[in-house]
Amino acid sequence: MLRQQVVRCRLIQRSRKALLKNCYATVSQTSPREKDTLNALVYRVNSATDTVENGPLKDVRVAVKDNICTAGIPTTCSSRILETFKPPYDATVVKLLREAGAPIVGKANCDEFGMGSLNLWSIHGPALNPSQYDKSPGSEVELRSAGGSSGGSAAAVAAGLCDAALGTDTGGSVRLPASYCGVVGLKPSYGVLSRWGVVSYADSLDCVGILGKSVGHVQRVFQTLNKFDDKDPTAVHPDARKQAGFLCQERVNAWPGDATLSNLRVGVPQEYFPTELSTAILQPYRNVLRSLAKRGAQIIPVSLPSTHYALSAYYVIASAEASSNLARYDGIEFGLRVDPDNMNHVNQAGDIYAQTRTFGFGEEVQRRILLGTYALTADAFDNYFLQAQRVRRLVRADFDNVFSARNVLSSTSSAPECGVDILLHPSAIRTAPPLVHDAERDVYKLKGSKDDLDAYLQDVLTVPASLAGLPAMSVPAGVGEDKWPVGVSIVGQWGCDEAVLKVGEEIEKIIGNGEAIEDRHEMRK
Amino acid sequence: MLASRGRAIFKLTPCYSRYVHQSRDPIPDKRWPGWAVVVGIEVHAQIKSREKLFSDTWTSTLSQEPNTRVSAYDAAFPGTLPRLNPKCVELGVRTALALGAKVQHRSAFDRKHYFYPDLPSGYQITQHYAPFATNGTLRLPKSAVEVRITQIQLEQDTGKSTSEAHGSTTYIDLNRAGTGLMEIVSEPDMRSPEEAAEYVRALQSVLRSVGSSDGNMEQGSLRCDVNVSVHKLDKPGEFGTRCEIKNLNTIKGMTVAITSEVLRQIQVLENGNKVAQETRGFDEDRAETYTLRSKEDAPDYRYMPDPNLPPLLLKEDYVSNIRSHMPDLPGPIQARLLNMGLTQRDTEVLMAIDSGREVGYDGALGQGAVAYFDTVAQGRDPKVVVNWITHELLGQLSHRQETFTQNPMTAAQMGDLVDLVQSKRITGTSGKLILRHILEHKTTTMPSQLAQELLLLAAQNDDSLKQWCNEAIEALPSEAQKVREGNERTLNRILGHVMKISRGRANPESAKTMLLSILK
Repeated sequence: MLRQQVVRCRLIQRSRKALLKNCYATVSQTSPREKDTLNALVYRVNSATDTVENGPLKDVRVAVKDNICTAGIPTTCSSRILETFKPPYDATVVKLLREAGAPIVGKANCDEFGMGSLNLWSIHGPALNPSQYDKSPGSEVELRSAGGSSGGSAAAVAAGLCDAALGTDTGGSVRLPASYCGVVGLKPSYGVLSRWGVVSYADSLDCVGILGKSVGHVQRVFQTLNKFDDKDPTAVHPDARKQAGFLCQERVNAWPGDATLSNLRVGVPQEYFPTELSTAILQPYRNVLRSLAKRGAQIIPVSLPSTHYALSAYYVIASAEASSNLARYDGIEFGLRVDPDNMNHVNQAGDIYAQTRTFGFGEEVQRRILLGTYALTADAFDNYFLQAQRVRRLVRADFDNVFSARNVLSSTSSAPECGVDILLHPSAIRTAPPLVHDAERDVYKLKGSKDDLDAYLQDVLTVPASLAGLPAMSVPAGVGEDKWPVGVSIVGQWGCDEAVLKVGEEIEKIIGNGEAIEDRHEMRK
Repeated sequence: MLASRGRAIFKLTPCYSRYVHQSRDPIPDKRWPGWAVVVGIEVHAQIKSREKLFSDTWTSTLSQEPNTRVSAYDAAFPGTLPRLNPKCVELGVRTALALGAKVQHRSAFDRKHYFYPDLPSGYQITQHYAPFATNGTLRLPKSAVEVRITQIQLEQDTGKSTSEAHGSTTYIDLNRAGTGLMEIVSEPDMRSPEEAAEYVRALQSVLRSVGSSDGNMEQGSLRCDVNVSVHKLDKPGEFGTRCEIKNLNTIKGMTVAITSEVLRQIQVLENGNKVAQETRGFDEDRAETYTLRSKEDAPDYRYMPDPNLPPLLLKEDYVSNIRSHMPDLPGPIQARLLNMGLTQRDTEVLMAIDSGREVGYDGALGQGAVAYFDTVAQGRDPKVVVNWITHELLGQLSHRQETFTQNPMTAAQMGDLVDLVQSKRITGTSGKLILRHILEHKTTTMPSQLAQELLLLAAQNDDSLKQWCNEAIEALPSEAQKVREGNERTLNRILGHVMKISRGRANPESAKTMLLSILK
């Protein structure tokens, strides 16, 4: 395929209007409860040709987020610019799934290139949330967002379309939809799961994440994918993994679980309760803390003082990297190409690219490219990009100052005397936000929202762990006052993914989540 | 060719600082009386590695079909990631050591952004903030000038775009995209177009001797951007505003471009105007430079640390290991050869062959003439060996219109041949015959074996020698008579006949003695 690429920049007139007409995806207006109208899967795989038979994951049906490459299967990143793109290769994580025999059911909807918190920025339309708990026969179905950017992955798991799903998490894109949809969502330590074949949004933050209907499912998939990949230059060396695993195991052994959690030290970060945090979230969160304390865990308030600056730093870094990573979508080697209407206005290559990029990228992606491009200009670089990197180091140091385990990736880190084993905080500032259907434009939007910045605010609770590269997992903690799911997040020291999973399992036992999803399916039938 | 677009505009600034650069006095020149010239050069040399800098695709030569050496990474397909080729680093370190530069224990890769069709990812990976080597020098052999090297950095080459003269189609060839480059930046230490040319030649020679690059300007594996400024001869240190001339592809073109740029700048100044800092191109046909873009139009490359590539950490023992296995540099090689008793002329012949030799991939040093000589000369008389190589072997090759790289005769074969002749088991004439036979038939058979097959072994016993001598005397009775009468000069004609019927196997000295003993 590559051999034949004598690529030509041919300048042909073409009607943009004709293209526009075909490209807006529409969402069926029937009940979102029905599996095929959730819009969770945007491509279904019927036969599993490359999957090993009778592998250890043969009973785990998996959906793959549409920004993770699947050989010969469309990988659109929910972007018009890659609408017809079929990569000639599998991402390493997909290859590992196939080798373990996991049946891949399809590609999951997401925000364009992973940029968004509501899965509204997608050429496939929004992924809708199937998780309304209060489902009495004949009651009104409420349209709510599945969250983003891995909204399709979360919705597919919640609706029982699969047992687990791959997502990506750059600033909360796995944990947030997991929280909204009432499923488990793990963002592993940065550098642990291979990013080869995962379409880059912000390389220094992007992680492959795993969503599942139970902690056990997530753990099985995680253990399958947790392999050093020398094709990923950011993969952490096996020695460091082993070292972190050892430190982590020491702590886990101290709290055997079940009967007693007496040596488990749970940190509650003060800064994670902003005024925007909905009170509906607090009750389920407190219940979890109370139950853990009842079983002997020590609840310890901690402070992570740089948290306030984390959100701004995150958006500068993520946008800067995005502006760089998305420069490759120019319509030359692959993907969409739009030729200019009028050749007389074409003086340089950029004039041609502008057509493709203006038409091919959605609003949010364009916004972040512009922001990131500005942050990297010579005038702004020091005040924005470098400043954000400084904040990032402070955020990392904050975490290292509270955890009982040393950060093996940092030569200067030494664990404090009475550090905490994990941090526990609400995953989101609210339950899944309601959507309204704008019949005129046939698109969905956030109900009652005035400001685009509202969407960014949500990331306050999830971006610090992303900036620090730490493992973080949202597990269901019951429902809020509105009967929609609430998640709590467990954050651990780098490389302590197993400890995070272990605590998740304990919380799952308290909440009885495994049955919860099944119950909902039963009720739906 | 686009790899370096406009880079120097801000990067060279520190080197031009008036306070730093005082090392050389201005040099008067008849061509521009009263004016002094200052030149700095940025060289982009393609690293001769088998695989590209960040992918395992093979590098290409100009003869490859377009777009046959392209991987998904080279074409910037989504999801692909770079993986640094350690061979490129090793060749970079060799180059840095050869230039006496300090290899940094920690360097890093950055992205330089611009949109162009032959740059598929929209950025070039380079080492803008932290180059891997700094502070080197290159001593120019003829003028004995020490040119300071500011820094050496690793970076990616771009693809190539070709446009039809009046068409609207641009063709893209990604074979070259992602090939490793070394950017070698000099201080403004040259004072004439000729010194600039000498610098590039000296650099080419260093690159080839350490095996890091072909350094071939015609084939584009070495490209130069030149910074030129002029100032009043009587105001040393008060450097003028510089202009950068991009993409000079021959040494001759470079000297012409510098000369014409110097004259242009002097003209501007003498007319009472100021030289504007800008980037200029060179029109070879008109022997003139022209404005590409002014300083104000310099693009903002939005340099950013590459978030995929960890810092390049080079430990001291890695560097010292490379240092201890460094191939010899041109200066020390010549000294060594002279020390072995070779003449100046012989060393020059051998080294001239090497400067044009093919550089092997990944630092494998091609079997050059010096290495060939060294192998053959082991345990043999160097002067005899160099004669066989420079006179007989090179003579025959050039007679056959072949180059040394096409030489089919192995060093082992050459050694065997020299031994056969030196031990008088064959004659020199037979030796030359065997050499020609090997070149002609490209055989791998050893000369001692060939000597037997071709019946060339010098007559070892007196019987056959006596027989040939008697035959010769019978064939030339009148000449024999003259010898008997004391005319020994005629002996040579009979001796010639002996050599002929023995097909060179007879040892001339022994035959001469034998003939005399028979005839007297």
